[in-house]
Amino acid sequence: MIATAASNRRWKRIFLIAGAILAAYALLAPLTSLDAAQSANIPLLADKFWLRIATSIAMFVVMATAWNIIGGITGYAAFGNVAFFGIGAYTTGMLVAKAKWPFLLALPLAPVVAAAFAILVGLPLLRLRGHYFAVASLGVGVAVGELVQNIDYRGQPVFGGASGLFLPIFRIANRDLFFFYLMSAAAVLSIAVTWWVLRSRFGYGLIAIRENEEAASVLGVNTTAYKVASFGLAAALTGLAGGIFSQWNVFVNQDNVFPIEYNVQMILMALLGGTGTVFGPAAGAVLLYLLIQFLGGTLPISFDIPFVSTDARPIVAQIILGLLLIVVVIFVPRGVIDFFGGRTRLSLSYLRRSLRETSL
Amino acid sequence: MSAAAQLELRGVTKRFGGVAAVDGVNFEIAKGDIVGIIGPNGAGKTTLLNCISGVYHLDGGDIRWEGASIAGMAPHRIASLGIGRTFQIVKPFGSMTARENVAIGALFGSAHMRRGMKGAFALADEVLELVGLKAKADQPVSALTIPDRKRLEVARAVATRPQLLLLDEVMAGLNNVEIDEALEMVRSVHASGVTVLLIEHVMRVIVGVCRRAIVLDSGRVLAEGEPEVVLRDERVIEAYLGERYAKRLKSS
Amino acid sequence: MANFVQLVILGLLAGGVYVAVGVGFGLVWGVLNIVNLAHGALVIIGGYITWQLVTALHLDPFLTLPVDAVALFVLGYALQRGVINRIIRAPLLFTFLLTFGLNLVLVNVLLLIFGSDFRSVTPAYAGKGLEFGSIVIPYVALISLAAAILLSAALAFILNRTRIGLAINAIAADRDAAQLVGIDLRHAYAVTYGLGAACAGVAGGLIALIQAITPTAGEPYTLQAFVVVILGGLGRVSATVVGGLAFGLVEAFGQSIPGSGSVFANAIAFGLMVLVLVTRPQGLMGRLR
Repeated sequence: MIATAASNRRWKRIFLIAGAILAAYALLAPLTSLDAAQSANIPLLADKFWLRIATSIAMFVVMATAWNIIGGITGYAAFGNVAFFGIGAYTTGMLVAKAKWPFLLALPLAPVVAAAFAILVGLPLLRLRGHYFAVASLGVGVAVGELVQNIDYRGQPVFGGASGLFLPIFRIANRDLFFFYLMSAAAVLSIAVTWWVLRSRFGYGLIAIRENEEAASVLGVNTTAYKVASFGLAAALTGLAGGIFSQWNVFVNQDNVFPIEYNVQMILMALLGGTGTVFGPAAGAVLLYLLIQFLGGTLPISFDIPFVSTDARPIVAQIILGLLLIVVVIFVPRGVIDFFGGRTRLSLSYLRRSLRETSL
Repeated sequence: MSAAAQLELRGVTKRFGGVAAVDGVNFEIAKGDIVGIIGPNGAGKTTLLNCISGVYHLDGGDIRWEGASIAGMAPHRIASLGIGRTFQIVKPFGSMTARENVAIGALFGSAHMRRGMKGAFALADEVLELVGLKAKADQPVSALTIPDRKRLEVARAVATRPQLLLLDEVMAGLNNVEIDEALEMVRSVHASGVTVLLIEHVMRVIVGVCRRAIVLDSGRVLAEGEPEVVLRDERVIEAYLGERYAKRLKSS
Repeated sequence: MANFVQLVILGLLAGGVYVAVGVGFGLVWGVLNIVNLAHGALVIIGGYITWQLVTALHLDPFLTLPVDAVALFVLGYALQRGVINRIIRAPLLFTFLLTFGLNLVLVNVLLLIFGSDFRSVTPAYAGKGLEFGSIVIPYVALISLAAAILLSAALAFILNRTRIGLAINAIAADRDAAQLVGIDLRHAYAVTYGLGAACAGVAGGLIALIQAITPTAGEPYTLQAFVVVILGGLGRVSATVVGGLAFGLVEAFGQSIPGSGSVFANAIAFGLMVLVLVTRPQGLMGRLR
């Protein structure tokens, strides 16, 4: 039932090669849309539509990977990390739209402000355990969004209010390509940070906190500092994604940078791909994002759900998603990477065992 | 209070609700000592250990380490000063291997000779050898037997390079052979220069390895001295076995 | 002065709804250790059942409350027995995600059936109330509070005086020991969740009377239920009652502050919760675990 060492390695190798090929294609294909390439008659492998999807995927890779630092590695399942995305977006948004800063100067401040907020809020919050921490962090996510949209100063909305922020368009050639590579760079950064964390003293301390916080503290791990640092790091990366998003999307308001669904999506992506691994959350992000878009009918490849009108389509998509979430949570607690990493073979008995372990 | 005391407890008190689990405890440990703490269940032994290691905050009194007060310090700071401890119910890091568990101790722990990643894993291997777990170093915790997990717990604490090691009932649940092995392990740790303070119920251990024993009852120090002497003390027998048995023993 | 009294009265009356929203949530949390993110959806289903009955049969809305309770009890029992029981021993993150998924499904099914239009229920006596000088006690709010108190009393009765209630208490105290004395965990768990859902259903019926409902209108109530339970203290129905009334008061006074208003509802709820968690985690009436 448990894969042997040899097939372990075989699967891992197959998976890594497949992933590398996909990543190479994703990064190089968009270059075919450059004018220079077009005039050289290179076939168009990726157009604007795919660039937009790819950029969104990269965005979720950042968010899922970042969440994994506090949720998967440290074991504190934060449920409101979208707050940091929104804070990053509004920070850059405000600096560019209101204070007229150049975008590339305003961008680095997004992770800084997000991290500062995380540290401020994290100090009291991370003292809470289990349910309390999860819902308190959910509350943060919701409350921050609400506050940012509705705070008024002398009758004027401070952050643009309900009508949101409009950023001047960033002037650069091949804008879509630029933002794709910028967001991908952020994704690569998050993965690199995770890789570093997992092999550093810091990361070992975080895992110790996750496994047994009391033991970790008597062994010399400064649990408070480490937890807050982990939270801040996750916030910084998430905030960076938000900052890039604000200029890419040109428009920022409560609905598009503080959506509650993002909280669950990033967690689900990390879970699906396998928490505690370097590439897991990224894999989960790619899979889940494509799935959500596919169900919603926004991909060129689509299918018609019988008996469902186009109006009802998005609603049915959400239902299918909810059902999928339920099924995944019940049957596959350890994630997709478990299978491809060779730890276990996807089999009926594995699913049955999962079920038995967790049900009454 | 002598100047040579490494650890000093003065009037240490810890309350839970209205009950004083530890009530005005005074004693000293000298450097290099190996002292046993005994007493009936509920006497406050583990609470005392928790107070020393910083897991509990004191309600009264003071604890001094090498002359300086450590009362109110966070557990990780006390660990960095050189005080290590094990837990009665072992708390291993479940998803890691034995080596990684011990390496955590080596990576953190006392500030004295803190190691980098490579050095920490090397130290972990040394300590695993010391406790007899070298062969199982790469096994996950779930594959270890109970005596092995207890050894792992001790190894992890030793890897923090402590100057004082607090052991909380490491012998509990072990059979005679395993106890002998554990005794050897405690002796070698002590021989390497570590002061040892151990809570035990197994008297053979106290008598066999401790130079001094402190008896706790209802949160207070009842008696103190050489193990054989203390164990024959009337009050101690009464505390453990009850008044009537003590009387019977006396009259027999 | 009269203004202050009016605020207090309004606060207590509004608190009735929060009590109803909170008791079911607290029961499921306290016994099953599940933070039910689908709670809001269950509440709004109750609202829709009430609306449907009032519109179709012209019943007085308060008479539909027992129907809400029964219908949602059945739904809750089925959900627990069929779905939630499967991951109940998994780490907390999974129960969170599962109940979130349930919420997604329930809300969207409602959207399919009822669409996103707002519906409301307005009894003949809406807007009227007892008057004492300048102080008004609206009838609807008064009966709502009474219904909520009745609901809590009924729940407390079931928990303390019936066999299944004692079984539930036993499980809350020590799950393994409860099994050892022969309590059927699956059934008892399902009953617990069913009771929680029933309370949510009643709360939904009450809510339909005071606001227009739409499938997504239940969302804020989940967070507010959480705050109510934390405020009062997890563990006893009476504690949640206190929490609900207190929350009603806080909201009434919070809304009277010029410039703010219900826009900040979630922010106030969250702020209060964090305050309580950091200063007095056992709540107003709870005992420190």
